[in-house]
Amino acid sequence: MKTSINRMQAIFIKDFKDVMKNMFISSSLLMPIILAFMYSRLDDVSIDLIYLIVNLSFVAVAFLIQCSMIAEEKEKNTLRSLMLSPASVFEILAGKSALTFLMTGVTIVVSIKLMDYVPGNSLIVIVAILISTLFYIILGTLFGLITKSVMEASVMSMPFMVIFGFASLFENIAASYKVSYLIDYLPNMQLIEIARMDEVGTTFLEVIPNLLIILAWIAAAAVVTVSVFKKKEMND
Amino acid sequence: MSTIIDVQNIQKTFGRVDALKEATFGVEKGETFGLLGPSGAGKTTLIQLLTNQLKPTAGKIEIWGQSIKELNKKIFRQSFGVLSDNSGLYTRLSVYDNLKLFCDLYGIPHKRIHEVLEIVQLGKEKNKIASKLSRGMKQRVLLARTILHKPTLLFLDEPTSALDPVNTSHVHEGLKELTKQGTTIFLTTHDMTEAETMCDRVAFLHEGCIQLLDTPTHLKHQFTNRSVSLTCTDGRVITHEYAENQARKIYETMQQEDIIAIHSNEPSLGDIFVQVTGRKLV
Repeated sequence: MKTSINRMQAIFIKDFKDVMKNMFISSSLLMPIILAFMYSRLDDVSIDLIYLIVNLSFVAVAFLIQCSMIAEEKEKNTLRSLMLSPASVFEILAGKSALTFLMTGVTIVVSIKLMDYVPGNSLIVIVAILISTLFYIILGTLFGLITKSVMEASVMSMPFMVIFGFASLFENIAASYKVSYLIDYLPNMQLIEIARMDEVGTTFLEVIPNLLIILAWIAAAAVVTVSVFKKKEMND
Repeated sequence: MSTIIDVQNIQKTFGRVDALKEATFGVEKGETFGLLGPSGAGKTTLIQLLTNQLKPTAGKIEIWGQSIKELNKKIFRQSFGVLSDNSGLYTRLSVYDNLKLFCDLYGIPHKRIHEVLEIVQLGKEKNKIASKLSRGMKQRVLLARTILHKPTLLFLDEPTSALDPVNTSHVHEGLKELTKQGTTIFLTTHDMTEAETMCDRVAFLHEGCIQLLDTPTHLKHQFTNRSVSLTCTDGRVITHEYAENQARKIYETMQQEDIIAIHSNEPSLGDIFVQVTGRKLV
């Protein structure tokens, strides 16, 4: 177990040093914070607006940065070397996700502080945000694995960024379509739902169905991601 | 000597394409085994099969006397190193940081970084950012990374392709140092000089099949026409084809002419490859 933590830590430190010199990642990190600062100047910042920034942090940091970090490893043929090292699938993916997790956390905390957001029940909101972060990181890993370059990853991930990041904007438009109820099952919509419930006062028990839906997304994404990784380990 | 790699009737098919039709060979402990063949012959496929990156369509691979399917993945990966022509470095990081990551992944002390950089003669470049290195230097850093964990078995897929002679020589010196330490090397190349200078035995791979397998010296003897050429001081070359009285003829020529060089006309491995397969090694 000790060795396994050392390996994850080694990948984390390598990524940290690499990210410090990567302008694309620095700008992606700043985008939600700048928007949060701009919105904080408004007189009334609604819960939907706050979670638009939170969801933007998910897609711009957790999803896009993770996706580009993995895609870059593929593009530069360094992922193959990691795969051929004694590091396991879990060690590689956890090591690579740890930094993104940290960056997402910092971005969200700074953003919501700037917008003076204070949740009714912090525990509910923290748990919901933590598991949502996990989902976007897994999704980013998946997209990084199935694309061949950072450019391809950026282009391919656009529609998914819109769906998972900005679905709340289309809530009213989608309501006129029969399949609109599907939007409600998206993880970002579940998070907004939890936040709305929290605003009017709720208990942990009441948000469990919403959390379970997000967890179901995580489970599905994790199964696909690990199987894609294992397939990439073999060149067949 | 004991057999480290034992390959029996291995085949690999991608869809309808037979990348490897039939290969049977063994690699002995401590030897440098060269797999020669033109681009597309199946060399990289074979390395990927031997390093468990691909599953064979048919046949059997044993490493250290154990089926590759049954080998413990972690232990196996601790024991071999792979350098392929598409291995990459973290270009924003220094040479040292690139190697440090792999030291930590393999669980080896960081002082080993200095040792491997000395082997590839890049000790002074350890703080350089990888993107600032020349292609030859990058390849040497990759070699350093490949041997960081002192693998007992090394797979090198065209390690000197596109390198200039100076960098090629540095890589070769590094590899010779490793063989002295007992490392077994499996090398693919289409560079005949590299094969002749580095390999104890070579196998010719053509269209997915192993056509010949022997030491470079035996192959040359097997395919020589036994003619001898004498070069005169005025630049003329007198060639004596093999005959019963060849020695006497050579002696007479040496008496009559002012000779500066005598060469036995052994074919190069490239000539033998063309003779056996009917195509050049490109």
